[in-house]
Formats: sequence, structure tokens, C-alpha cells
Amino acid sequence: MYSTTGEFIQKDITLTGGTSITFFPEQYVDINELSNFLDGKIPEFIIRELSDFQSGRQKAIVVETISEPKEIKIVLEEFLNYKLTNENSSTESTGSSLGESFYKQLVYAIILSFVLMSIIVFIIFRSKIPSFAVVISAFADIIMTLATINLLGMKISSAGITAILMLIGYSVDSDIMLTTRLLKRHGNTDENLKSAFKTGITMTLTSIIAITVALFIIQSVSNVLSQIFIILIIGLSFDILNTWITNVSILKWHLETKK
Amino acid sequence: MAFGDKKMNWKIWLLIFCILGSLLAIFPLDFTQGIEITSVELDSISYQQGLRQGMKIQSIDGQTISSLDDYRTSLERFPTESSEKITITTDQGIIILFTNDTLKISVKEIPRNRIKTGLDLSGGARALIKAEGKELTNTELKDLISVTEERLNVYGLNDVQIKPVRDLSGNNFMLIEIAGSTPEELETLISQQGKFEAKIGDEVVFEGGKKDITYVARTGDQSGIYSCNGDNSNGYVCQFRFSISLSQDAAKNHANITCALGTNSSLPQYLDKQLELYLDDVLVSALYIGRDLQCSETTQISISGSGSGATQEEAFENAEIDMKQLQTVMISGSLPFKLQIEKLDTISPLLGKEFTNTIILAGLAAILAVGIAILIRYKKIKLSLAVLLTSLSEVLIILGVSALFNRSLDLPAIAGIIAAIGTGVDSQIIILDESRMTNVSLRERIKRALTIIMGTYITTLFALLPLMWAGAGLLKGFAITTIIGISVGVFITRPAFSEIVKKIVKE
Repeated sequence: MYSTTGEFIQKDITLTGGTSITFFPEQYVDINELSNFLDGKIPEFIIRELSDFQSGRQKAIVVETISEPKEIKIVLEEFLNYKLTNENSSTESTGSSLGESFYKQLVYAIILSFVLMSIIVFIIFRSKIPSFAVVISAFADIIMTLATINLLGMKISSAGITAILMLIGYSVDSDIMLTTRLLKRHGNTDENLKSAFKTGITMTLTSIIAITVALFIIQSVSNVLSQIFIILIIGLSFDILNTWITNVSILKWHLETKK
Repeated sequence: MAFGDKKMNWKIWLLIFCILGSLLAIFPLDFTQGIEITSVELDSISYQQGLRQGMKIQSIDGQTISSLDDYRTSLERFPTESSEKITITTDQGIIILFTNDTLKISVKEIPRNRIKTGLDLSGGARALIKAEGKELTNTELKDLISVTEERLNVYGLNDVQIKPVRDLSGNNFMLIEIAGSTPEELETLISQQGKFEAKIGDEVVFEGGKKDITYVARTGDQSGIYSCNGDNSNGYVCQFRFSISLSQDAAKNHANITCALGTNSSLPQYLDKQLELYLDDVLVSALYIGRDLQCSETTQISISGSGSGATQEEAFENAEIDMKQLQTVMISGSLPFKLQIEKLDTISPLLGKEFTNTIILAGLAAILAVGIAILIRYKKIKLSLAVLLTSLSEVLIILGVSALFNRSLDLPAIAGIIAAIGTGVDSQIIILDESRMTNVSLRERIKRALTIIMGTYITTLFALLPLMWAGAGLLKGFAITTIIGISVGVFITRPAFSEIVKKIVKE
């Protein structure tokens, strides 16, 4: 419950504070069994399984919780019947005040990035409405992505926030291309739009395909990279919508009123 | 067009030059055989005779050393009864030393490439530490770092990096990064204030640190575990003992305080009060003081204590840990404030290699997918190959720059490479499409493409800057790698790519 109070997104333990323990079981561990065992013993937890990409064999189990490493280790050792050491397990813990401060700073970083990006876009186009369209489209990408993540019940990590930053970059790529083609080129707007659309869609679809392939391979071994990829795929999909509907509509309207 | 051709050569040559340079940075032409010294314990005989971190050991006593196994076998016999001569040939000269102990250095095999992987890939520990309830000044932070460095070094941890970090909210932290396997007691080691006091009654006789304690024996027969006893039902206890030297002042203090004591009524060979040892205000040991020490300005003192456990091994290990901790704080002294661990990550080295391989596999698969997508869209294998090669050379140059500047690649850095390659592919598609437009000259078309690319480059660059400082710099790797990647793209690979595309389109 701690993570949903009054916040737009659900944060994971890297941003709320807590512990994530990854251990490499000697024998196969049934996740449901572990979950039943932990129920009531640890306040709030998530269990995930990591497996080998090729064989699909269980490689590691990740338990995330808001408790201290020591508390969760004792309970896990009771279940596993052996000691968890720095060799056979990885532990990552973040204090709650640090987590909160990380979150604030990362949000601050995103806002700052966004502002810097907007200023540069205004400098490049020196025209209010088209620049505004680029900024709005990037903003819509971020908000829609965050809303989707929230709907999917994903908890965002500090690495996930870097994905949002990447999204600003990708989003602006296609928008700047579109705006340059439409504003700075002579000739028929519809023709320019058509060619820009072809280029932009190729850009975004190629990115989505490449990231999906990478996600397919990486999801078995890394939560951090998986989350970055999932956020990018969601964000890029919305970018198609926002670039080719939102941004194009504003630009076309702007070009027509200028005539 | 002669001029155009010359220009084309220049841009493509630059790319080729950078690729070769990166290959050299990653795989240096260093055919030195042997093993590399990763650290040398200060004050050890090895250090005194000139062995240093980074030297490469080629042979020991005439026997060629080409692997860790060779190294271990050649020094297996140590520690020995009496001192023996060891002749070590390194890449920087021959070093001869006489010792009966191990060398007190750590070594590794010379890596085949210079790409360093971060803690989250190769294992290790990372801690962010703050003072409890106060903001540290820069001087305090510096002192904290040097004390911590000494403690970890005394403890035998050598591949350690400690640096001050400041985050966007103005908090000061000490960031500790330890490569490789980490001891279980790391938490105590880095977070304890380390206030050591030896008291008789309420009076402090001496404290930890160099003012009172001039020497702490840590090797040889002056230090170690001397007895274990107990049984399976009640558990075991092991006793340790090591000697220390006191300064003149501390010795005088000892004399004055003991003069005032009486004789122990039940154990007449001892004085009536004990020497009590406190670590961070907790009593860790109490020692009887022999009557012969009364009023004497003794500078040699033997410290003893014990560790317990359910089995003899456990008791032995605990006694060893307690002894090492006590020795550590006696040498390094106390910190003037309490510490708080804000973040502690210990990553097992177990998954590392597989993890790295999976990431490489994912990267190659993604680039291949890009190639196929380009082929489907443009239906020209040459263009698709050009995109593939450009992306691969971008990865290579990013890795080369990282190797050159000794930056280690952690997960955020890998995410950065992905981001850079992604925007790189976007830009290449822009170049491809612009070059195929027919209304203006080819040169003009490429120029237009590069204008768009410059615009996206500057926006992304500025968008990344805030991340350099946010979150205590833990995501700095992402920002730096992405910035390196997109800069390499804009200034090196994309100009070359557009020349290649020009050539292909002209055909």
C-alpha cells in the first residue's frame, strides 16, 4: 500500500527503499511454495524467477520486499535450509530516505531534461507553434507511457526512469524530422508529409522491432534492462500516435493558417 | 568529381582510423606473459622491496609464471619456518626478497581485453554511506575516506575505490566500490565508528589510533588464535591474542593508573581491576593485569579476546573476524561521528559471465533485426549492410573509448549503448530517405539530413545532462555512455555513413 498513496506511478524498492535478494537455488524452487511460506512472515513482497535463455532452466529467484536484508535473509534461509552468503546470493538494499531522495532527484532530472529539450527545440525552429507541437508530443508520450505502466501494475525502478529519459530522445528524433521536412522544405505539404511519414514510421518501427528482439532474449536474465525495454516499446508505440496525429494536426493547422 | 571523392575518403578514413584505434584500446598489443599484481599490502616486505600494483610477474625463482596456478604452486610452501630467498622477475625488473611469510599481494591473470565490467555484471559490493544526523564538510568527508581506505586495506580488501559523491539535493556521501567477492562482515567494517578504548575503572588508558598505539602485530607468532575448546552440546570458544606497542605517553598513563590499584584478593598474582576493552562503547574483552606490570611504563601489551560458535570452525572463524576488527580499529582509530549505510549492494560474481554473454547476444540480435528491417524497407542488401556495419562500429568505438578512459561498463552504461545505437539507427534512416529524394542535388540532400541529425543530437545531449548529478551519480554511466555514443555517431560514423550511402545511391 505504501507505494500507491497519492503518487501517479508505483515505485519499486529502488525508489521507496527496501531490499532485493537474488539467490541461485541449488535445487528447483517452486515459486508458489516459496510465496506461501513467506506470506505473513515478510510484510510486502514480490517474487520473480530468472531462467536461462536457451534451456529455460531456473537460474535465480528474486525476492523484493520493504524489509531489511537481515530480516528477509533469516526467513529465506529457513525455507532453503542453507545459509545465504555473498557468493550464493546478491543483495541490494536502499534506505527509505535515500530512495525517496533518489525519486525526487530523478523526477527533477526528467523535468529539467524536458525543459532543456524544449528550449533547444525552440532555438532550432524559432517558431512558437511547431516547437510547441514537438514538446506537447513528447509530453504526451511520457504521460501515456506512465499511465500504461500504471495500468499494467508495473512498479517503476530508478533504471525505468532512465527509460523515460531515453523516450524523450526518441520522441524528439521523429518530431524534429517531421517538423524540418514540413517547415523548411518548399513544395506540397501533403507530399512532404507523406515522405516524412514513411521515414518516421521506418525509424520508430525499426526501433520497436530491435528492442522487442532484445527484450525477448534479455527478459530471462535482467529485470533492470527488461523494464527499460518494456517502457521503450510502450513509449515508442505511443510516439507513432502522438507524432502522426497530435504533432501532424498542429503542424498542418499552423501551415494552413499561415497561408 | 575529384573534390568530392577526396572528401569521401577523408570521412571514411576517419571512421576506419577510429575503428582501428578502438580495437587497439580494447585489445592492446601487449604480449607480456605472466600475471598482474592487483594490490600490495602496505608495510609488507613485498611493498618494501618494490613490488607495486600493475606490475606483471613473469617468473618466480626461475620458473615461468603464466597462470594463477603456476603462481600458487611456486609459493605453496609459504609460510615457512625460516626466511627464504625469492627471486621475482617482473616486467619492470627483478626483485629479490627474503621472507618466511606469504607475499601479501593479490594477483590476477592478465586480461585479454581492457573492457572492464561494472559491479552489477562482475560481482562486488557498493555502499553509499552518510554521517548520522549531520552533513559532512569536505574535510570531514576526506578524513572519513582515508580512515575507511585504511580499514579496508588493513582488513585485506584491496581492489577498492572510495570517492566522495554529492547529489542534486546537496547530500554528501562516501561511495565505496569493491570488486570481486566481498566478506560477510563488510557492513560492520564500513559502518562502525570504530571508537576503541582501553579502560581501567572509569579511566581511559589508551585509545585506538596512531597517537596511543604505535604498532599492532598482525602476522607471525605475535598474532593469532592460540586455543580452542568446548564440545558439541555447549558450543566452542576460540581465544585470540596479538601484541601491540604503546606510545610513551600512553605507557606513562598506564603506569600512573596501575599504581593506584590494589591486589586481587582471590587471584593474588593480578591487580584488583581489569583492563577493559570497549569497541563503540560495548565491552568486548576484559584482561587481568599482572602485578609485575603495576607502575611500570610498559610499551608492550598483549591483547586477547575470544570468538564462539556452534562448531569449532565457526568459533575459529568468529575469533578471527573479531581479532581482525579489533586490529583494524586499533590501527585506523575512531571517526568523530556515527555512520549510516544508505545503500548497500553486494552482487555475487556467480552469474556475471553468462549475464554478459546474454547481453552480447541480445545486442547482436537487435542489430541484426535492424538490418533485416532496413532490407525489407529499402530492398538493397548494400544499404542494409551499411547500416549494420555503422551500428557495429558505433558499439566498437563506444567500447574503445570506455577502455581508453578506464570506464567500467555497468548495466546503466549498457542501457546507454542501446540508447545511442537506437538514435543512431534513426539518424541513418533519415540519411537514407533524404538521399533518395530527387528534387535537389545529392550533396544538398545529405546536408539537409545532417541538419536534422544535428538538431536531434543537441536536444538529446541537453536532455541527458541532468542525469549526471541526479541520484548520487549512480546513473551517470548511462548519461556518459549515451553522450559518448551519440557524439561518436554525429561526428564520426554518420558522416562516413552518408559518404557510403552517396556512393551506393550514385550506382
